[in-house]
Amino acid sequence: MTKTISFAVLAALLTVGAVRADAQITTVIAPPKPAPAKQLEVARRQEAARDSVARVTLTDMKEWVDSAAASLALRPDTAGAPADTGVAAPAPPTERSDARTTRDAPRQEAPAGEFREGGRAPDTATMLPTLALAGGVVMVLGFALRRRAARSAVRARH
Amino acid sequence: MPRTPNAARAWQRGAGTLLIALGAALLLAAGTSAARAMLARDLARARWAEIEAERAAAGGRLAAKKAAREGIARGTPVARLLVSRLDLDEVIVEGVGDVELYAGPGHMIGSALPGERGNSVVSAHRDRHFRSLGEVVVGDTIRTESDAGDVVWTVMRVRVVSANTPVLRSSRTPLLTLTTCWPIRYFGSAPDRLIVEAVPIG
Repeated sequence: MTKTISFAVLAALLTVGAVRADAQITTVIAPPKPAPAKQLEVARRQEAARDSVARVTLTDMKEWVDSAAASLALRPDTAGAPADTGVAAPAPPTERSDARTTRDAPRQEAPAGEFREGGRAPDTATMLPTLALAGGVVMVLGFALRRRAARSAVRARH
Repeated sequence: MPRTPNAARAWQRGAGTLLIALGAALLLAAGTSAARAMLARDLARARWAEIEAERAAAGGRLAAKKAAREGIARGTPVARLLVSRLDLDEVIVEGVGDVELYAGPGHMIGSALPGERGNSVVSAHRDRHFRSLGEVVVGDTIRTESDAGDVVWTVMRVRVVSANTPVLRSSRTPLLTLTTCWPIRYFGSAPDRLIVEAVPIG
């Protein structure tokens, strides 16, 4: 009987008390050897050359973005499609100002938490009932064990 | 393993005490979670009342709507949901993450606000805010209040689908979709979803 109870207690502890064991991997990174002065000078020159190229590219990008923005601003608004054409107009990409939420909110949530066509309903299950049930069961088991020990002690005295 | 009766009794007492402590810790965690949820819900309600007051003081919905367009942070109350037959009265907050769903039903980011053109998706925990949603039937009346206006909806479809079923769809007309896990009373991760769809009336 004690063996059975031992197995039950062990199973309960393993079930309820199971936690994920995160591995920690450590290593040693040796410091880099000091480079000779001549090599450092060459590297500095190469870095300066790359920097100037990057500046040119960024300037071009800015001009390109400005021109693209200007052309978009001039484009007529086609969101309000006429309703009497007899042909269903495609829905606008966003039926409300979606950008305000997707742009401003931090991207901490999984994509499943955001609306998309053909998406699934979010998982709204909580661990609360499971926690409460597990806590109750484990407590009852604990009280039963202590009561059993007390009864056994009384029987032993008699 | 203990071989003598005394050792066995001592082992039982020790294991029993350990289990009682463990059970108490689990119950405490559940209680703390429930208390946090109640506190978050009260805060959301208080914030919603403030928003309503600010809106009234600003002279109507237009000013509030303009401000809202600039950005809604997660957890911000965005609407109110009422189903009088089910005695359901909840403040909807932005986002359907774990933190937001503590406070109340969550408005899915990217979907329309209740009353706007498009599908407005609202989800909540089955064991908290949408506990009574399982009793909703076709024809029930739902009311929402938001920046898009006060809207009265009628439930046109109630269905239970598998968790992996694609149910979210765009709409050119106002549509309200309420979702929660199914079965309502179930331990663990629910295998299905309850989907309630409503259209505006009047």
